[in-house]
Amino acid sequence: MADVLRCEGVAVRYPFASRDAVGPLTLSVARGERVLLLGPSGCGKSTLLHALTGLIPAALPGERRGQLHLFGQPVESRRPADWAGQVAFLFQDAEQTLAGFTIADEIAFALENRALPPAEIATRVAEAMAQAGLAPGWQGRRIATLSGGQKQLVALAAVLAQGAALLVADEPTASLAPAVAQIMADMLLAPGKTVLVVDHRLGPILDRIDRVIVLGRDGQRLAEGPPDAVFASHGAALAAQGIWTPLATRLRLALQAQGVTVPDLVKVANLVAHLPPHADLAPLLLPPPCPIGAETVRLDRVDCAPPFGPVVLRDVSLGLRAGEVLGILGPNGAGKSTLAACLAGLIPPRAGQRTGPPGAIAFQNAESHFTAETTQAECLAMGVPAADVPALLVGWGLDHVAGQHPFTLSAGQKRRLALALLTATDRWPALVLDEPTAGLDHAGTTRIAGHIRRLAAAGRALAVVTHDADFALAVCDRVIVLAGGAVQADGPARPVLRDAALLSRCGLAPPEAAPLLDWMERVTC
Amino acid sequence: MLSTLHPLPKLALCLIWIAASVLVFDLRFQLVTLTLAFGLLWGVQRVALLKLLALMVPFALFGFGFLTTSVLFNKESGFALQMAQEGVMAAPDISPGLVLFTRALACGMVSALFALTTDPGQLVRALMVHLRLPASVGFALMQAMHLVPDLGREMQVLRMARAMRLGRAVRRVPGPGEVMGLTIPLLAFAIRRATRAALAMEARGLRPGAPRSQRETQRFRVMDGVAFGLGVGVLLAVLWAV
Repeated sequence: MADVLRCEGVAVRYPFASRDAVGPLTLSVARGERVLLLGPSGCGKSTLLHALTGLIPAALPGERRGQLHLFGQPVESRRPADWAGQVAFLFQDAEQTLAGFTIADEIAFALENRALPPAEIATRVAEAMAQAGLAPGWQGRRIATLSGGQKQLVALAAVLAQGAALLVADEPTASLAPAVAQIMADMLLAPGKTVLVVDHRLGPILDRIDRVIVLGRDGQRLAEGPPDAVFASHGAALAAQGIWTPLATRLRLALQAQGVTVPDLVKVANLVAHLPPHADLAPLLLPPPCPIGAETVRLDRVDCAPPFGPVVLRDVSLGLRAGEVLGILGPNGAGKSTLAACLAGLIPPRAGQRTGPPGAIAFQNAESHFTAETTQAECLAMGVPAADVPALLVGWGLDHVAGQHPFTLSAGQKRRLALALLTATDRWPALVLDEPTAGLDHAGTTRIAGHIRRLAAAGRALAVVTHDADFALAVCDRVIVLAGGAVQADGPARPVLRDAALLSRCGLAPPEAAPLLDWMERVTC
Repeated sequence: MLSTLHPLPKLALCLIWIAASVLVFDLRFQLVTLTLAFGLLWGVQRVALLKLLALMVPFALFGFGFLTTSVLFNKESGFALQMAQEGVMAAPDISPGLVLFTRALACGMVSALFALTTDPGQLVRALMVHLRLPASVGFALMQAMHLVPDLGREMQVLRMARAMRLGRAVRRVPGPGEVMGLTIPLLAFAIRRATRAALAMEARGLRPGAPRSQRETQRFRVMDGVAFGLGVGVLLAVLWAV
């Protein structure tokens, strides 16, 4: 197979940086191959993607070294925009990168830039919409009226309409509900397409990947090969670097520590048959029990609406108890964040009553919390005594960035700093975390999960808004499922998350660990 | 019905009416303009009365300035009012302040007529197709339209974060101090977002000055010509009558 993309010793360094953001790397992508670029947060994956068509250094400041060829030609032989006919980009945050005003505008944008005839553009727009499952009548619908998941589907339709020989996607499923993420993966990674994809979330895409290239923390290649072989032979090394691996690989490594040996498999369903009855999965999959205290916050027949917006959730009644972690699950646009704000008391309910002390929200965009110039100054501004700041930062693994501006921290560090600030004092006995793991690598997610359980054990009442059923299973005692403007289920995490029919009806998917929960029940019986 | 008309003839017609409203210093003309625009919006387009009244508040405040100036400071503002009265087609028998007040409302109502019956995306498209507005400018305008609601959402999150720190509920309307504090973070958000959008547009092939085609958009129809002609005809008839 001919190489569509070839990098030889490619490295990228940002201005004033003392080391390369990524590389030197030598890699290639052949025609018809679907390659996953995997690595810990901050290892330079997105930087490499931006360098592929010359956006770095043409549009973003940075220095690129080494040889980079697309379709046999040096990348620098054309301007980045000139590669649009052959290379289609799907950016991570579709919301911020859509160009058009309506869906048809958006899908036609790249085709118009190539000066294709209007009749051909119309045909391609209609075909791409049909492929992405968008109703033909939606051509004139405004982008601003779409939910986050729908916007991502429009972005995908625009990429498919381009008909480019190489698709490059940067975390395409990061903020999507499972049902939409699956649709996205099915279309983006259909057989025959040449794709280079960066994603932390392996579940929806791993079956469709031909080859994995793993980058280490230093931005250099750590492993490469077919997914099964890479995770079987390098699973421990990947885990040590905090890189996401399939649940079966993580379990195999954890069971090894218990003295249980299971074969190198990447699918949980296949692993179940090899589990000995004495394997103890509970500590690996479920949260450690902690005493549940009195009710801290209660919503009684509450209608929730964003400020100046319409009611999105009606007749919600729920309580949040000290020491309890409540998972709030639902598809994109179900009203999870609005409920979170109501639960914290930041938005008054349109109807019904909220009782309890004021709570706090750790917003998805952690930068919203920061107002000071250094990490240390943020703690002082929050009212933490100066003498206690070093210990607080050590506790959250932020001591080495005490003097750094909060905006320059990594995504995981920002989330930890926001949580550290909100829990440093006793001001807020109830805390809501909005998508705390979105875009984080395995190390970052594990760390956040550990802190959530530590806070619960210390008597805080916590609620976690998430799409990730496995994360909910690992940290939540109880979950509620939102869909169709109402609470569809409210109960202990394990039974609710095993209800495949309910989750499917609500646009969600059961956790990857579902077969293991079934196994645990069978073994207990 | 008005929203199905092509944006460009509608824009031209509204500009002609606004120009006439500025040039004709006559209370009757201003009242007819105001009534016609209001009637089309309320009667034909079924825009809520409360919304129309709310939209007219800034224009009324602007016009009220003229009205109070002409009544309370008649001597001091005499020169300006005299200049206005001596314009073409001026009718000096009516209080000039009242004419200026109704003129502000009439211009506001005609602007509202255009804004409430026109799809902004179609307008930008029409400007790119028929008036050679550069694509980079056109899509920047569309981005700006996306940015406004995004900025609103971001501002809400920032306000909630601040209210949380201060231990109070989010106020319905931010105070001056809060607005000042939000300016820099919102500006930073807007710059970051604009940078990402520009990068995405370049990656998808947008080159300033390069030839590009346009997908099929709304075409001029007989109905657009008829509506334009009717609008101009009504204007001439009103001018003749006053």
